[in-house]
Amino acid sequence: MTDLAVLDRAYHSILTQIIETAQAPHYTEVAKTLGVFPEEAKAVVREVIESTPGWFHPGTDYLASFPPFNVQPTQYRVSIDGRPGWFAQCGFEATAIRWLFPGRAVRIEAPCLCCGDQMVIEMRDDEILLVDPDTIVGYTSAEVGGDAANRPFR
Amino acid sequence: MNLFRSEEHACTWSGFEPEMADRMLKPLAGWADIFSNDFFRQRGRPDYLSWTRSKDGQAAFAKLRADLS
Repeated sequence: MTDLAVLDRAYHSILTQIIETAQAPHYTEVAKTLGVFPEEAKAVVREVIESTPGWFHPGTDYLASFPPFNVQPTQYRVSIDGRPGWFAQCGFEATAIRWLFPGRAVRIEAPCLCCGDQMVIEMRDDEILLVDPDTIVGYTSAEVGGDAANRPFR
Repeated sequence: MNLFRSEEHACTWSGFEPEMADRMLKPLAGWADIFSNDFFRQRGRPDYLSWTRSKDGQAAFAKLRADLS
């Protein structure tokens, strides 16, 4: 089991890179940040993901989801102060992206899964600036974060 | 964990399961409030994983679980 301080550094470096570039680092890049060999970093990144509600693309070591973000495109397109490029892991996590961009406008654009028509949400810190249409709801047929027994941070 | 233009749109979606609607169908503002929990707000701190295991982190997660139950 990796030292918690190392996991903190790895988590923070991955999240910071996604915040800054909308792209996740490869584990070899995390290795440079941590000052370790790539194989060690690969194991550390795996441990980080096991501690979060994120995941790899199946059968690979490529980060696919690192909440609140998704690295693979989803229907939840996110712009920060008008700059596009990010994707939210899901509609609910989309509302949490603002906490990683304090003082900045977070715009979420997504099609409705029922009709395909566009929805737009804008948030800045604690303010919800726009909800269009104002009838938008969130729904899931699954438990948030997965089944209780397997939920990270339980 | 998806967004829909209205409750009617969610209820007519092919993946809708009525038994989950009581807990898992909410206006956007309701989900935005739940996802305002410190569990989400604190993600940017450099010691986030350690924080989740702290007293404050565990309290935030307990509140999140309560809000979702």
